[in-house]
Amino acid sequence: MIDKLKEAVREHLEELELVIGYGEGYDPLHATPIFVRRPEEVDRLLWNPLCVYNLATYLYGLKGKKVGVVVKGCDSRSVLQLLNEGLISREEVFLFGLPCSGVLDLRKLAERVDVGRVEEVSWQEGKILVRTREKEETIPLEEVLQDRCLSCPYPTPLIYDVLLGDPLPPKGENEALLRQVKELEELTPPERLRYWKEELERCIRCYACRNACPLCVCQDWCAAEARDPHWISMRDGVKEKWMWQVLHALHLAGRCTGCGECERACPMGIPLLRIRMKINAELRELFDYEAGVKEGERPPLLTYQVSEPKIEEPKW
Amino acid sequence: MSGMEERERRIVGFLCNWCSYGGADTAGVARLQQPTDLRILRVPCSGRVNPLLVVKAFLEGADGVLVSGCHPGDCHYVEGNYYARRRLELLKRFLPFMGIEPGRFEYTWVSSSEGQRWQKVATEFVEEIHRLGPFAGWEDEG
Amino acid sequence: MLEASQDPRIKLLTYAELEEVKGYVGNFEVKIRKKARLIDETRCTGCGLCIERCPTFTSSEWDLGLGQRKAVYKPFPQAIPNVPVIDSEVCGHFTTGLCSVCEKICPVGAVDWNQRDEVIEERFGALVVATGFELFDPSLYGEYGAGRIKDVITGLHFERMVNPSGPTGGHLVRPSDFTEPRRVVFIQCVGSRDAERGVPYCSGICCMYTAKQVILLKEHIPEAEAVVFYMDIRAPAKGYEEFIRRAQEEYGAIYIRGRVGRIYEEDGKLIVQGTDTLSGQALELEADLVVLATGVVAPQEGDRIGQLLALARDDYGFFTELHPKLAPVETMSSGIYLAGCCQGPKDIPASVAQGSAAAGKVMALFSKDELESDPQVAQVKDLRCIGCFKCRDVCPYGAIEEKETPWKKMVARVVETVCGGCGLCTATCPTGAIQLQNFTDNQLLGEVESLCLGWRRESAA
Repeated sequence: MIDKLKEAVREHLEELELVIGYGEGYDPLHATPIFVRRPEEVDRLLWNPLCVYNLATYLYGLKGKKVGVVVKGCDSRSVLQLLNEGLISREEVFLFGLPCSGVLDLRKLAERVDVGRVEEVSWQEGKILVRTREKEETIPLEEVLQDRCLSCPYPTPLIYDVLLGDPLPPKGENEALLRQVKELEELTPPERLRYWKEELERCIRCYACRNACPLCVCQDWCAAEARDPHWISMRDGVKEKWMWQVLHALHLAGRCTGCGECERACPMGIPLLRIRMKINAELRELFDYEAGVKEGERPPLLTYQVSEPKIEEPKW
Repeated sequence: MSGMEERERRIVGFLCNWCSYGGADTAGVARLQQPTDLRILRVPCSGRVNPLLVVKAFLEGADGVLVSGCHPGDCHYVEGNYYARRRLELLKRFLPFMGIEPGRFEYTWVSSSEGQRWQKVATEFVEEIHRLGPFAGWEDEG
Repeated sequence: MLEASQDPRIKLLTYAELEEVKGYVGNFEVKIRKKARLIDETRCTGCGLCIERCPTFTSSEWDLGLGQRKAVYKPFPQAIPNVPVIDSEVCGHFTTGLCSVCEKICPVGAVDWNQRDEVIEERFGALVVATGFELFDPSLYGEYGAGRIKDVITGLHFERMVNPSGPTGGHLVRPSDFTEPRRVVFIQCVGSRDAERGVPYCSGICCMYTAKQVILLKEHIPEAEAVVFYMDIRAPAKGYEEFIRRAQEEYGAIYIRGRVGRIYEEDGKLIVQGTDTLSGQALELEADLVVLATGVVAPQEGDRIGQLLALARDDYGFFTELHPKLAPVETMSSGIYLAGCCQGPKDIPASVAQGSAAAGKVMALFSKDELESDPQVAQVKDLRCIGCFKCRDVCPYGAIEEKETPWKKMVARVVETVCGGCGLCTATCPTGAIQLQNFTDNQLLGEVESLCLGWRRESAA
């Protein structure tokens, strides 16, 4: 697939200002987003389970330029959602679609190998080979893929200009992520609050979750950092952190495509994705809605129906 | 306020100016008894209520929050309460996941002539909050 | 209509449709498409020679298919302006490329085959929507046989027949064999007051026009018998009840309270099966003609107009008034008014009253140089707006536009005169850039905070 990608990029590079793809990262366990502008740079492109990043996150900032971007299935949903909201225009993006069988969860891998000392990483059919100074480990990919990949409903990009691989069948309907939500729902609400207070205590309000999210286009104008309106103070308390996460999740309601970049980017390892998945699950039930799946669909909280079959009358 | 009675709970109500606020007013004019621990904040429309306002109320110490607007179809601004219905239903299902017990946040529709209905809504909601007790989630946070 | 067309202060644009509307009260920028009638209005004298000589016939829409018209035609004799139009779908000049009779016969050379649609752009201070109504399609009641049985017609067919300039020259006849009917059955509430198969509301005009048609029938054919099947009689206005009584007492119409279950043909007659609920009996009547009082429905064009003007409509397509009791001719959009059936079924006096009311509102609007409005409007802080326009998409009034800032960013802008002050935008805006004045986020947050601060002090005491 990587050869087909390089060929396609070479073919279209002229009509594009730049192509955003994946290249080698700072160590063998990391890929990194790269911006290809000249033909000589095309060979830097790579494609493997280290390509975790959602490159759609750059698109809003590059408005006004015609850019190419490499998208996995999940990333293509972000692009579709950005298009549905009119935040980017279709003529300005050229999508190189790559069907994907899953990307790595470094935290899971860190439980098996010393990720600080990796010298080489290579791939075999369904396996990852990690060589540190001390040893060499071969681990089945299924054991170290991100949870969201285990039951990925959309491995094949939903929107693309060129598709550079054979379409892949869905692995499931997000069961792995919904299980995370269910686990929490088995606790009582006070237990749940305690859980969140424990997890969110670690939040440092770095806003990496916000910056990694493709749909978070407010960035410097974010309501969480404003004084007018003053929703959250800068006080370093768990109340404020809880409020920040609730604010973030509610602002993304109906827009979040579950790409999980927020959780991956969080330096403190806070389980952010399940907050959004809970909202996504409710919106699925209430309005039969999934973000970034149907072209032209409006987010459910920005529209209404005169009669809502799934919303019950108030009890009084 | 006698120390022997149960302490008042802290309950915030966001009422839309045209229907629910009028309904509460009608209840008042008819001298219908209402619980005094439900404190009413007037908004032009239930659609004005950002779900985050409800969240903020809980963070500031509210034990319960009620939002009341015009019946769907009767919004003074035609559509405001249709959006409110969707957003507040989602909030209602989401808040328990983040640790706020179901029953502490409710939303309903009361028109300006429904004084008795307002009395019922307010009384029953406040009773439920008393039954749930104070929201102790943030006591240790200062 | 003649008066309106002759008044120098009124510009009547016929055979034209609304193409685009932008702007706001006092400053509507409107595009109107004047469709090509293929006849030069400035030359045509209305002599009608073209119509006489035109060799092509087609079914007449005005006569509801009961009669024919030519390819070049005037919709009805008193049509304004007195200039025909050429129907290019059936006209021989277009279908075979061979016919130019009208062009040759016209004494002033008014036929213009190359005429094109013209788009007129103009600014207006106010708009009045009076797009009227259409009638319910009775073929949805298969058991009545409308559309299938020739002698089952609607009230409007009846009107065309008794009209002296209509397809039968003013004679009331059975469409099947052109004989005079001896018994005519009128059925009220066809489509109206039927939540399941039709529309749930009462159309308000059918009881009265059915009684009128009964009277016309008896005046045309004194020996004929008129039977009316009704559910209730709605005759609320001045003289209305007395009119119904006249139809019953003076003209001998038989009013049966009950519904009709089925109509079928037998030996050239119509058999009407119904009930008489007051006596509790089932009935079977022979009739020569059945007239269905079909209900009032919103015109299909309403969808397009509604979207062009961003007007709200109810579940049945009627435009939504600002307040059903206190503002029946205004809409949520300042400067756009409603009149007549497009706002809801009503009869002629009520439509005329609404027309005058709308005109009055417009005059009140125009009598001022400046508009006063409520300060409870939303305002945008350009510096905080990211230009996502979620506010614009949810605004019930369509009060938000795009504007470019000096630093070349597209941001939202509130048209203060159109803003209704609901605050939906404020609750929707992700950055809090747009704020409803007097109910800003900070103000409401302040209220919540001080309420809770009061509690904390109380509990500390």
